[in-house]
Amino acid sequence: MNPNPQSSDGKHDDDSALSDFLASLMDYTPTIPDELVKHYLAKSGFQCPDVRLIRLVAVATQKFVAEVASDALQHCKARQAAVVKDKRDKQQKDKRLILVMDDLSKSLHEYGVNVKHQEYFADSPSTGIDPASREE
Amino acid sequence: MKDGGLENKKELENSKKQSNSSKFRSKSDDFALSIAKVAVAQVCESIGFQSFQHSALETLSDVAARYIYTLGKTANFNANLAGRLESNVFDVIQGLEELESGLGFAGASDVNRCLANSGVVRDIVHFVGDAVDVPFAYDIPRFPVVKDRKGMGSFWEKGEEPHGEHIPSWLPAFPDPETYATQSTVGNGTMSGSNGVKTGLVRVEWKVERPLLNFQQQFARNGNVGDSSCGGGDSTKAKEASNSNPYLAAPLHFGEKEVDVSPVVLPTKLSNEVASRDPIPENRFLGNQVSVLETFATAIEAMKSGICEYDGSRQKNVLYNQRPTVHFKIGIGKKSLNSAPYFISKNKDLQKIAYWFENGNEKDDRKRRAEIFSKESMECSHESGQL
Repeated sequence: MNPNPQSSDGKHDDDSALSDFLASLMDYTPTIPDELVKHYLAKSGFQCPDVRLIRLVAVATQKFVAEVASDALQHCKARQAAVVKDKRDKQQKDKRLILVMDDLSKSLHEYGVNVKHQEYFADSPSTGIDPASREE
Repeated sequence: MKDGGLENKKELENSKKQSNSSKFRSKSDDFALSIAKVAVAQVCESIGFQSFQHSALETLSDVAARYIYTLGKTANFNANLAGRLESNVFDVIQGLEELESGLGFAGASDVNRCLANSGVVRDIVHFVGDAVDVPFAYDIPRFPVVKDRKGMGSFWEKGEEPHGEHIPSWLPAFPDPETYATQSTVGNGTMSGSNGVKTGLVRVEWKVERPLLNFQQQFARNGNVGDSSCGGGDSTKAKEASNSNPYLAAPLHFGEKEVDVSPVVLPTKLSNEVASRDPIPENRFLGNQVSVLETFATAIEAMKSGICEYDGSRQKNVLYNQRPTVHFKIGIGKKSLNSAPYFISKNKDLQKIAYWFENGNEKDDRKRRAEIFSKESMECSHESGQL
């Protein structure tokens, strides 16, 4: 008997925390717009009139994208640090952080998404150049 | 990313047309995907990226769209599994846990965990607490836009009686009998609005076809152009016809001019042609060569008129005051320039000029063909490279 009231109190706390969080979601506008999320959820068959759930999905997606992007950023910075050891000049040039396909595929690989990018197509003047210096 | 990626949006959309279309990414999804690109670009900017590769942004936005889609699909599946049509928050959390299970989250191994207390939710709470509130850059209307379709009224709605007892009144009514297509075209006595339009169109088609038929007749006649007698026999008829239809007029002999062109100062290379034209009348009466001369003369005239256009604007006024007749001797003139034997002996200047224009035309054709071939080969290589 004893654990039951405790667990029920715990459940109440969890529920209230969750409901508080969902309420706070309405104040926070995620970067990913609601209409876009609604579109893809409708496409998948998700039915819910509750706006808070849509916000929850939007926030979750934003978190996912942010994590992938931050991993890619770390890869990019690591590559720049490795290059700087060779040439001190590049420190000035490579301050620009570019989201490159290489870094993205590495970070997505950790999340289970396998993306392979073509190295080059042999029909443009910039074929075979180091991808960091090649800006599309 | 200076302005949220807007400057790249059009290029991205153009490049998207070349990408492989899968079941998920259909052509009607372009709008949503471009919005996703902007949103993802904004997120990346808040992380710290300053610019991006097009392909990388496309890939990441596609992955984000699939993430949303997968979340929705999983949540719907969980709801259906529980016997519900509408999903609730626990379905969504279960879907989130499933997606995050690859990397793992706090409390994943706990068998008796409560969904409300899930580590995924706590991560999200932390994220919301830390993240900067960056709203989306644009105002998006509700999409996809649902058109209001005006359905065809039923018999009952229109107040019409169906044509027979076998037709129930809730079926859509038949269209107006005036809109039916009719067999008779010209000379239709009763013409209502839409029917009149149709007959008008048919009349226009007839009018267009008539000159085409005349063209064909003209070509058929000119196929036998070897006989000058043939031309003479038809001259009376042709003159009558020419009054009404200029395309049926007889071809001009050498020296005749329907349009009086004032004497023009030609540049030196063309003056040779003028000088060499004088000996031609002597050759006019060389037995069988008359027909060839005629064709050659008209071709020269056509070339000359073509040359005069290039010479300057002052001559244009002279030429365009009266509309010159058009002589259809396509292809015959060229052959005559090559095959006529007396050109080899005399009139080398004339021959040169003839060769200039002839070779010019040929070279243009060759160049055009070469360009077409090179374009096709480039397109083929482009496509194969992309594949």
